Amino acid sequence: MMPDFDQSGLPETKEWVPEQAAPVILLENVSKTYGRIHALTGITLSLSGGVTGILGMNGAGKSTLFKILMGKIKPSSGQVRLFGTNPWKNPAPYARVGFVPEHEKMYDWMTAHDFISTFARLNGLTRDEAKIEADRVLDFVGLLDVAHKQIGRFSKGMRQRTKIAHALVNDPDLIILDEPLQGCDPLARTTIMNVIRELGRMGRTVIVSSHILHEIERITEQIVILHYGRLLALGNLHAIRERLDKIPHRIDIGTENPKELAKSIIEIDSVHGIFFPQGKNLSIQTHNLGSFHSDLPKAIVKSGQKVESIDNPDDDLESILGYLTGGGRM
Amino acid sequence: MATKPDTIFRALDRKAAAVTEFTMRQYRTKISTWVVLIVGFMVISLLLLFYVDGMQKDYESIDNDGDSEDWDGDGYPTGQERLYGTDPSSSDSHPGLLVPPVEPDPPEKWIDEDDFDWDSTPGSGQTISVGYDDDGDCDRDDRTDSQKDSNDNNVPCDIILEGPQEGLNDDFTVEADNFVDEDPDDAAYAKEAIHRASVLAIGKLGFVFIIGIFVPLFLATGLIRDEMSSGTMHYMLSKPIARTEVFLYRILGYLGIVWPYLAILVFISAMVTGLAGPSDSFFRFSEFGIWLSVLFAAMLATLVYGMLFCFFGVLWRYGIILAIPFAAWELGMALLSMGVPEASILKFSVIGWALTIVDSAAMLVWPDLDLFIQMGWWGGGGDGTGLFGSSIEGTAPLTYFSSKPSLGSIGPFVSMLIATSVLLVQAAVLWLIGGILFKGKEIE
Repeated sequence: MMPDFDQSGLPETKEWVPEQAAPVILLENVSKTYGRIHALTGITLSLSGGVTGILGMNGAGKSTLFKILMGKIKPSSGQVRLFGTNPWKNPAPYARVGFVPEHEKMYDWMTAHDFISTFARLNGLTRDEAKIEADRVLDFVGLLDVAHKQIGRFSKGMRQRTKIAHALVNDPDLIILDEPLQGCDPLARTTIMNVIRELGRMGRTVIVSSHILHEIERITEQIVILHYGRLLALGNLHAIRERLDKIPHRIDIGTENPKELAKSIIEIDSVHGIFFPQGKNLSIQTHNLGSFHSDLPKAIVKSGQKVESIDNPDDDLESILGYLTGGGRM
Repeated sequence: MATKPDTIFRALDRKAAAVTEFTMRQYRTKISTWVVLIVGFMVISLLLLFYVDGMQKDYESIDNDGDSEDWDGDGYPTGQERLYGTDPSSSDSHPGLLVPPVEPDPPEKWIDEDDFDWDSTPGSGQTISVGYDDDGDCDRDDRTDSQKDSNDNNVPCDIILEGPQEGLNDDFTVEADNFVDEDPDDAAYAKEAIHRASVLAIGKLGFVFIIGIFVPLFLATGLIRDEMSSGTMHYMLSKPIARTEVFLYRILGYLGIVWPYLAILVFISAMVTGLAGPSDSFFRFSEFGIWLSVLFAAMLATLVYGMLFCFFGVLWRYGIILAIPFAAWELGMALLSMGVPEASILKFSVIGWALTIVDSAAMLVWPDLDLFIQMGWWGGGGDGTGLFGSSIEGTAPLTYFSSKPSLGSIGPFVSMLIATSVLLVQAAVLWLIGGILFKGKEIE
C-alpha cells in the first residue's frame, strides 16, 4: 500500500515529491546541544538500504539522533534530510517512515489490533483498510494470535513487537528502532532479530540502536558507533572485529575441574597465559581471538572436561570503544 | 495501492476521526475523567436542590395596606367594612348589621387583594397608564377626585409607567395613585422571581462559569502535555500528521466528551426547573430557550477554555498553574458582569461574552423581565409616600443574576450573534497560537 500523496486539484496542498535520488537519511555536520551539554557533535552520515546498527553506550546520543531524524527535536546546527526533505516541522516524510520509540509507556487499555489500526488511520487509511493492515503487520511480528488482547497484559517482548508492528504500518521504506531488544526474553529477542533481518532482506532501510554488541552482531554487520555524541566509527563490524581480535583478550571458562582443562588449553598456540581466579573458573589470555575460538572446541574434547560456560567479557562494546579511542583495556 | 486519488478532505477526515475517537476512548479509560464529571454533576445537583427547596418554601404574604386587620374587633376585616361602607373603627358598625346580613370574610382574603394589573410594557421614554384598583379602596365614595388621582394624569386610580430612556441604562419610573395595586400577591411574585433568579444563577454561574471553567481545567490541560511527558506522543507524531492537526483533533475528542455531558446536565436542569417552577400548566416549556442558550454558552466556554488550557499545557509542563490565575480573573469578570454588565473590561474576558449569550436569551424569553424586576422593587408600596415601600422577596437576587446584554442597545439577537462570533474567534486564535507553539516544541 502506498501513501496517498497525489491529492491533486487542491492548490493549498503542499505537494511533496519524494526525491528518488536522495539518500534515505542524510545528516550533514549535525550537532545538538542542551545548554552546555553536547548531545551530538558534528554527525555526518548518509544511509540508504539495508540494516544499520547504531551502537553506543547509554547517553552516547543514539536517541537524540533518532529524535532529530523523527522531527521531534531540532538540531542546533547542521542539515538533516529524510528522503531529501527536512523533517523539522514537516510531517510529510513520515508517510514513509516507521518509528519504534524507546519509551516503555504504551496505551495499555487498548488491544494490540486496536492500537495499530487506530494509528494506521493517521497514515490515511480508512477504517477497513486499517484493520486489514493491522492484521498484516501483527502477523509479520508473530502476534496475530494475541491481537485482540490488551497491551497492558503483554510481556515486555510482546510489547516491543507491538511497537514494531505499529511502525511497520503502511510498509515504510525507513524503519527506525530505538533499543528494540531492551528487556526482552531470549525468545522475543530472536523473533525481533528475525523480523529486523527480514526487513533488511526486503530492501528496507532499517536503523536499529543498541548498547550491546552481540545483539547488533546477530542482526547486521553494517554499524555506526556513537561515543559521547561523536561518530566514532562507521562501516563493517567484521573489519573492526578483525583488528580487535589482534589485541589481547580475556576468556573466562567455567568448569568443574579448571586444572585439568588448563592442561589441554595451554597447548593452543594463540594462548598467552592462564589464570585461576576462583574455584571453578579458568581465565585465559589470548592474542588472537579468531584462531583461539577455532582451536578451543578440540582442546575441550581432548581434556574430556565438562564446560559449563564460556564468557568473553572483553568482546563487548566497551572494549571496542576502548580500542577505537586508543585507550585499550587489559 | 490506492485505487483512486484521495482528496485532502478525505485524508483529513480519516485522521480527524481517528484522533478524535481515540481521544474520546482514552478519556473514558481514565478515572480522573469520571471524577471530574461526577463532581460537576454533584455541583449542579446541589444547586438544583437549593432551587427545589426554594420552590417548596412558603413565602410570607404581606398586607401592605393593613386592611386585613380588624381594628374594631367586630369580626370584619377593615377592607370588607370599607367595601360595604361601614365604619372600620367602630364595633357597632359592620356589614353583619346590614339587611341582609353579610358573613365576615376570613382576614387572608384582604392580604393580597390588590394584585398587579400591569398588562403592558412602555417603550423607551414612553408613558402609559396601567393598574386597576381590584379591592375598590382607591375609588371610594368618601375620597375626593384629587385624592383618587394623586399622580395628576387625570385618570383616577391608575399607575403611570414610564419606560427607560433610550441609550441610558435607566430604570422604569412608577408613579401610582394611592391604593392602586397596593397589595400584590407577594408569595406568587417571590416564587416567580426566585425561580427566574435560580435559572439564571444555575445557568450563568453553575454551567457557564463553574462547569465551563473547571471541566476544561482538569480535562484539557493534559490533552497534549500528558502525552508528551509519558512519551506516548511519539506514536501519534511519528505518523504523517501535522501537529496543529493533532492539537485540533485532540480538542475535538475532548469536546466529544464534554459537550454531550453538558447537554445531559442542562437537560436535567431544564426538566427540574420546568417541573418545579411556578406554572399554570405542569411544565414551563418557555424556558427551554434559556436553557438552550445556557448549553450553547457553556459549549462555547468549554471550547475556548479547552483551547487555552491545552495551550498552557503545551507551553509549560505545569500549565495548570498558569490556568489558576486566569480562572481567578474569569471569576472576577463573571461577578463583574452581574453587577456592572456594561463594564468595558468584560470584553477582555471569555466569560463576559459567554454570559452575554445567556442574558440575551433571557431578554428574548422573558420580554417582561425588566418590568417584572421593577414591580418587585416597587413592591406594591409605591404610593409615592414610602409608606409601605420595600421590595418583594426575590427581587434582589433576580436583579443581581439578570443583566442586560453588555453590548448596549443593539438588541438581544444581535448581541448573541456578536458574542458567539467573538468566542469562536477567540477559540480559533488560541488554536493557532497553541498549534504554532506545539509545532516548534521539542519533544523528548
